[in-house]
Amino acid sequence: RQRWRADGRALRKLPVHVGLVVTEEEPSYADMASLVVWCMAVGISYVSVYDHNGIFKRNNSRLMDEILKQQQELIGLDCSKYTVEFANQDKTGQVLNCQSTLKVLSPEDGKADIVKAAQNFCQLVAQQQRTHTDLDVNVLDNLLSSTNGFPDPDLVLKFGPVDSTLGFLPWHIRLTEIISLPSHLNISYEEFLSALHHYAACEQRWGK
Amino acid sequence: MSWIREGELTIVERFCANIIKAGPMPKHVAFIMDGNRRYAQKCHVERQQGHSQGFDKLAQTLRWCLNLGIQEVTVYAFSIENFKRSKEEVDGLMDLARQKFSRLLEEQENLKKHGVCIRVLGDLPLLPVDIQELIAQAVLATRNYNKCFLNVCFAYTSRHEISNAVREMAWGVEQGLLEPSDVSESLLDKCLYTNNSPDPDLLIRTSGEVRLSDFLLWQTSHSCLVFQSVLWPEYSFWNLCEAILRFQMNYGALQKARDSYMEERRRQQMERDQDYVTRKLQQEGCVSHGDSRRRRTLLQKCTAMREERIQGFLQALEHKRADFFERLCTVSA
Repeated sequence: RQRWRADGRALRKLPVHVGLVVTEEEPSYADMASLVVWCMAVGISYVSVYDHNGIFKRNNSRLMDEILKQQQELIGLDCSKYTVEFANQDKTGQVLNCQSTLKVLSPEDGKADIVKAAQNFCQLVAQQQRTHTDLDVNVLDNLLSSTNGFPDPDLVLKFGPVDSTLGFLPWHIRLTEIISLPSHLNISYEEFLSALHHYAACEQRWGK
Repeated sequence: MSWIREGELTIVERFCANIIKAGPMPKHVAFIMDGNRRYAQKCHVERQQGHSQGFDKLAQTLRWCLNLGIQEVTVYAFSIENFKRSKEEVDGLMDLARQKFSRLLEEQENLKKHGVCIRVLGDLPLLPVDIQELIAQAVLATRNYNKCFLNVCFAYTSRHEISNAVREMAWGVEQGLLEPSDVSESLLDKCLYTNNSPDPDLLIRTSGEVRLSDFLLWQTSHSCLVFQSVLWPEYSFWNLCEAILRFQMNYGALQKARDSYMEERRRQQMERDQDYVTRKLQQEGCVSHGDSRRRRTLLQKCTAMREERIQGFLQALEHKRADFFERLCTVSA
């Protein structure tokens, strides 16, 4: 159990928000749950799960159950230290020592969310509470709601044979490193950790 | 012509091209031309040399695209973030731009012969005025050519582009041309700088980096993304073929994903329209949802009116943009 945290600390840099993007047609709840649990065990604060058919989102509770089960199995006794807060659930009672937050996303959190923000702003303009010149990059960024409270993803782990993000948070991934893995089915912790090492080696220049 | 290398493919290249062209081909390819500076370091030359070689490689790549029948190319030439670089480097890049756009204007006959339409996309007022004027001349001179299209993103980021599109729609509402409910994904598409182009089928980034760096984020949501480790100034015809092969391998899955996305989008728009009509009918005091003829008529009427508003708005937007370029040209005349 100690090794998870040590593995995280051994990395030159650890992503703050990881997007787990599945491009395969048949998602596996068990494997996705493992990935989520590994993320939080290693110390990643924000995790999002995405598939372009919205399967995980529609079957949210099944995924949650699987995650709780894996948490027990994989983390065992230290369960209380590694609890996950489920951002989309209206879970009353904040869990103490909350280390990670999870969001389950689908295409409606991408372009559709930008359009919703645009509509809301235009409504304010119609009511003369705003003018069009009020809208800049920061204002629009603040109007988006799909990732409330989450920083932009630093890393996307993309699973499956399709070389595309398939609509995953287009606005938010402007600087995201996109690392591809062949499949999420029967994914091993070693493969997961290796991808994190790959991420740690990326050099960001920020345009400079 | 300096922007597009003259020359045909070699026999071997042509052989390869014919094989590749047997499969689906991208109609629009986008490039993040990364690696000029690392190339310069590797060859122990000045950064400016690296950028200059990078431009030459662009000219060569455009030639290959034309040879392969790829009609539209979009390139990331200068990001708003790149203004953060040293004054020396930024000035050097601006000088390169001055040089290349001036050269372009000298080659108008060639542009006409090849039918090249040049568009420059970005927050152009951020650039030195003389460069804006050169750009305006190049864009206006070639705007009616339609054999092939080169879109140069200059002083561009995707977030600025998307925000600008939303701002334009808000302007439309302010002008009384649009209703807030007219705002939709498809309308936003039409307000982007890229509104005259189909989405890129293929996005290629060189130099081994695996991120999008604020380039065409909206337009490439369902594009084939290919990351290649070769440095841009060393890009070869074979690298391009490799990228196209990846596109071909992804073709079926991406078509399917795009189609289902569009279907879902249409369904949601239909749902919104039906809700709107239901509310309108309730307002009119029509109790029954069974009056399907009334429903259909109302739906048709609302859709038609919305279409009319949108056309009016898009025309106004087109005028605003043409005006911007024309004013720059009269200044320099």
